[in-house]
Amino acid sequence: MLKATLKSLMTHKLRLAMTALSIVLGVSFVAGTYVLSDTLNATFTNLFTDVYAGVDVNIRGAQEFESFEFDERPTLPESLLEEVRAVDGVLDAEGSVEGSAAFVDKDGEAIIPQGPPTIGFSWSGTGEEPTNPVKLREGGPPTSPTDVVMDANTAEEFDFEVGDQVGVIVEGPVREFTVSGIVGFGDADNLAGATLAVFELETAQELFDKVGVLDTIDVIAEDGVTQGELQDRIVAAIGTEYDVSTGTQITNETTDQIQEGLGFFSIALLVFAAIALFVGSFIIANTFSIIVAQRTRELALLRAIGASRRQVMSSILIEATITGLVASAIGVGVGILVAIGLQNLLAAFDVDLPTGSLVIGPKAIVIPMVVGTLVTVIASISPARRATKVPPVAAMREGFTVPVTAGRRRLIAGTIALILGIAVLLLGLFGGGDDAASLVGLGAFLIFIGVAAMAPVIAGPLARGIGSPFARYLKIPGRLARDNSVRNPKRTSSTAAALMIGVALVGFITIFASSIKASQTELIEGTTNFDLIVQGQGFEGFPAAVEDAANEIPEIGAAAGFRSGPSRIEGQTVGIQGVDVGAAAEVLNFDMVAGSLAAAEDDGLLVSEPEAEAQGWTVGDTIEMHFQASPPREEEIKGIYERNPLAGNYIMALPDFQDAYTEQNIQLLLIQTSDGLSPSVARAAVEAGLEGFPSVEIEDQEEFLESSAAAVDQLLGLVTALLGLALIIAFIGIVNTLALSIFERTREIGLLRAIGMSRGQVRRMIRWEAVIVAILGAVLGLVIGAFFGWAMIMALADEGISVLEIPYLTLISYVIIAGIAGVGAAVFPARRASKVDVLRAVTVE
Amino acid sequence: MTTGQTATPEHFAASASGLQKTFGEGPAAVQALRGVDIDFRAGEFTAIMGPSGSGKSTLMHCLAGLDKPSAGKVFIDGIDLTSLKDKALTELRRDNVGFVFQAFNLLPSMSAEDNIMLPLSIAGRKPEDAWFDRVIDTIGLRDRLSHRPSELSGGQQQRVAAARALMSRPAIVFADEPTGNLDSNSSTEVLGFLKASVKDMGQTIVMVTHDPKAASYADRVVFLADGHIVDQMEAPTPDGILERMKHLEV
Repeated sequence: MLKATLKSLMTHKLRLAMTALSIVLGVSFVAGTYVLSDTLNATFTNLFTDVYAGVDVNIRGAQEFESFEFDERPTLPESLLEEVRAVDGVLDAEGSVEGSAAFVDKDGEAIIPQGPPTIGFSWSGTGEEPTNPVKLREGGPPTSPTDVVMDANTAEEFDFEVGDQVGVIVEGPVREFTVSGIVGFGDADNLAGATLAVFELETAQELFDKVGVLDTIDVIAEDGVTQGELQDRIVAAIGTEYDVSTGTQITNETTDQIQEGLGFFSIALLVFAAIALFVGSFIIANTFSIIVAQRTRELALLRAIGASRRQVMSSILIEATITGLVASAIGVGVGILVAIGLQNLLAAFDVDLPTGSLVIGPKAIVIPMVVGTLVTVIASISPARRATKVPPVAAMREGFTVPVTAGRRRLIAGTIALILGIAVLLLGLFGGGDDAASLVGLGAFLIFIGVAAMAPVIAGPLARGIGSPFARYLKIPGRLARDNSVRNPKRTSSTAAALMIGVALVGFITIFASSIKASQTELIEGTTNFDLIVQGQGFEGFPAAVEDAANEIPEIGAAAGFRSGPSRIEGQTVGIQGVDVGAAAEVLNFDMVAGSLAAAEDDGLLVSEPEAEAQGWTVGDTIEMHFQASPPREEEIKGIYERNPLAGNYIMALPDFQDAYTEQNIQLLLIQTSDGLSPSVARAAVEAGLEGFPSVEIEDQEEFLESSAAAVDQLLGLVTALLGLALIIAFIGIVNTLALSIFERTREIGLLRAIGMSRGQVRRMIRWEAVIVAILGAVLGLVIGAFFGWAMIMALADEGISVLEIPYLTLISYVIIAGIAGVGAAVFPARRASKVDVLRAVTVE
Repeated sequence: MTTGQTATPEHFAASASGLQKTFGEGPAAVQALRGVDIDFRAGEFTAIMGPSGSGKSTLMHCLAGLDKPSAGKVFIDGIDLTSLKDKALTELRRDNVGFVFQAFNLLPSMSAEDNIMLPLSIAGRKPEDAWFDRVIDTIGLRDRLSHRPSELSGGQQQRVAAARALMSRPAIVFADEPTGNLDSNSSTEVLGFLKASVKDMGQTIVMVTHDPKAASYADRVVFLADGHIVDQMEAPTPDGILERMKHLEV
């Protein structure tokens, strides 16, 4: 029996290859993701192990709570350094401070990477080998207040050499420095895309407003003293007020954080890989169904000569297992190439990642192999069961077909899955909770399964409807294409279902993105009153000095700089905005529900209505706020305002914010120009006034909305690109199904050729059939996608995304694109069909 | 168009001369046709008979432009088939030749009427109503025109196939074992219809068969053995044919 299976596999190499392709692609995505994340993990782990190699103990201010987004710590008194140096077993201890410092390129533009920060810190120690992670490549350490050391990547990219003058933006306007040396971060040219500026300790303390204090102390142990021993001795000497960690602990902490970040990244990629495999499973199920149908006589013959049902079933399953294993193995190979491709894809979207040699762990091989094989086998179970229903007598009868599973049972099962799916999806969206994302995913999965199960029932009429213009206007090939697409609704629908999934997700993302943009526009226009908006280029914002400078400009009516930081309230970490409330009232339209804005001018807190409602707060309540780097505070709620997207949920009076946070960088500076000024005059005045700060960008409201929209579009592009694989697999499915069904229809096509159908007409017939199937899949997909979009917007209405905008033109263009892609998918099957041997088709075996 | 015995190839509905067909190459080569000369007068019903492997199907395929002969010439309606490319050959089949096959003769997704009209639809031509009515009445299936093939009996299906073959008024109709899959009642229906179309409509028909009774409907029977024409019989009877066949197989 095994021999018969193997024989059948080998005699249908093309069929095997086509089936395998959909698995290869899905598996390669899985393998590629693992390889990429393992590689990045290893790269970062090596980097940080290397850079902390020289540090035995590290001392930092103790943090009250951790936050993924923010990492603020109290500073250390400089006097602590002497205490530490006096501890027995300390060979050396060096303090350093850090902050944000951006270089200015030779054209006067700030050098700010998209995403990674601009890090500034002090050279710890005086030697050529500092205790901080940098390694000198050229020149020497900073030795004067005007010296700066630059990372090798920036030096290379912006053409700086040792001895060059370079502008640096720290708190205030640009200051001139001399490049005294060029460093790497360990062996890397920079730290994951961040720029590095290293100063003398005193210079850095002055620049970062940290005179007399230190952020961190690195300690080197004498020979024979272990990290643990030294840690204990230092804690004994300076007390438990500070965070004292060993070098190994610091390394682990850093690499753990990176692994956590990469974990999100690889889960995101794996979601797309899972979608691709899910789509692929439809192709596999379809292919095996067709194979079983085509091999009816062969299977019946096996049964007639004594093979049991179980043997028939296992012969199909063994075929699936072998196909799955071979395809998965190839997929893993391709995945390694995909890993390189993904690196490039991310680079294309400005996500800069360091390059390192590929790491291929056992996980990257075993998991994709197992998943790929399992998906194949599971997808082939239903066709295999059908195969067992072929009676031995079918071997003798011409034209026997296996009875199709009862339509009603499928319809009922499909309806149940669909309803369940919708319920789970809505529960996930509206119920909230920690499992929301999983519930939404499960709900979407069930909806797809449900619609796919019901599809054979609706595919017939739908395909007939979609095909009717083809039948009417495209003559006999169009007519036959329509008939063929309707003839086997189960096959048509499962081919279309594969495409449906991809299109549904793309359609959903498109609707979601345009709704976000529309909601954003509506909210910004409705709740703000600013003329110009000033933003930094990175995530770190820009120095508070910009606000002061803006307030000096005579043409300005009001300028409100929004600072932000984390706070722990009622056990949850929330974002707090610090702003001059008086100015904020000018640039934003606050609708007060209770209390007043003015009351929070000097102290206190303003809270948004939804947040106050959720927490059960009213004006006059006092709440306890915890901060990462300063003692807890009691703050009184002075007012409650209606939702305002730019204001966020919490606004803290500026004096209080300045007390509670050391980090005072501004994220957003909203400016209202004086009344009566023409926009261009006002803008020119503001641009002139802020000339000294090249790290900021000035936009008017329209530009701001445009660039927000562009950011949404960029994300849309990334997601669509990642869904591209699922779409490609779906089109491979169309190629596969068509090619196999042409094999099945050899005699019919031969008859058509015999009675005078030209090769071109045959090709057109196949082409239009592919187009009908593709359009069917796209239409089904868009219906589901629109539902997802609607549900999502309904669920997010409370988050400020309340406008459901359906971009009809874009969605229609997807249908057209699907149709055109259908033409492409038909090229190979159509060519095969046109080359059908007429004689073989019309002669009886 | 019946102009007599001395006609050039153009005056026959179809003719072949020196027809040879070899399958395979080298020592494994099989010669299916070893030089066949044959003419089909317009308005004549010819049956081709012969034992299995005699080359009768190959002869029909070459005559109908479904297969290329290795040597020799084939004319249909005065056109030399051997000089035609695939496109022209396809058009010739579409416009000048009708086919009736043993099995799988109709498209399952189309009604009987659509199947009958298929060659005209493929050509993008409209049927002449009078001709259509005449053909439909001759096959006697007017009340079954909207039925799918699966709803028709074997004999009815074959009559639909024959009607399709006639609809484009081809110069010649080739029928390959048209009764091979039918019971005797249905066979009689189909053969009666073929004979009527020759008699009443002046159609030229060439039928390959191994059934002496079927062949007896023809005006002439041509016997083939080992790739040669070995005998002919005008106005055949089943018994006479059977007698010749026995002789051939010895």
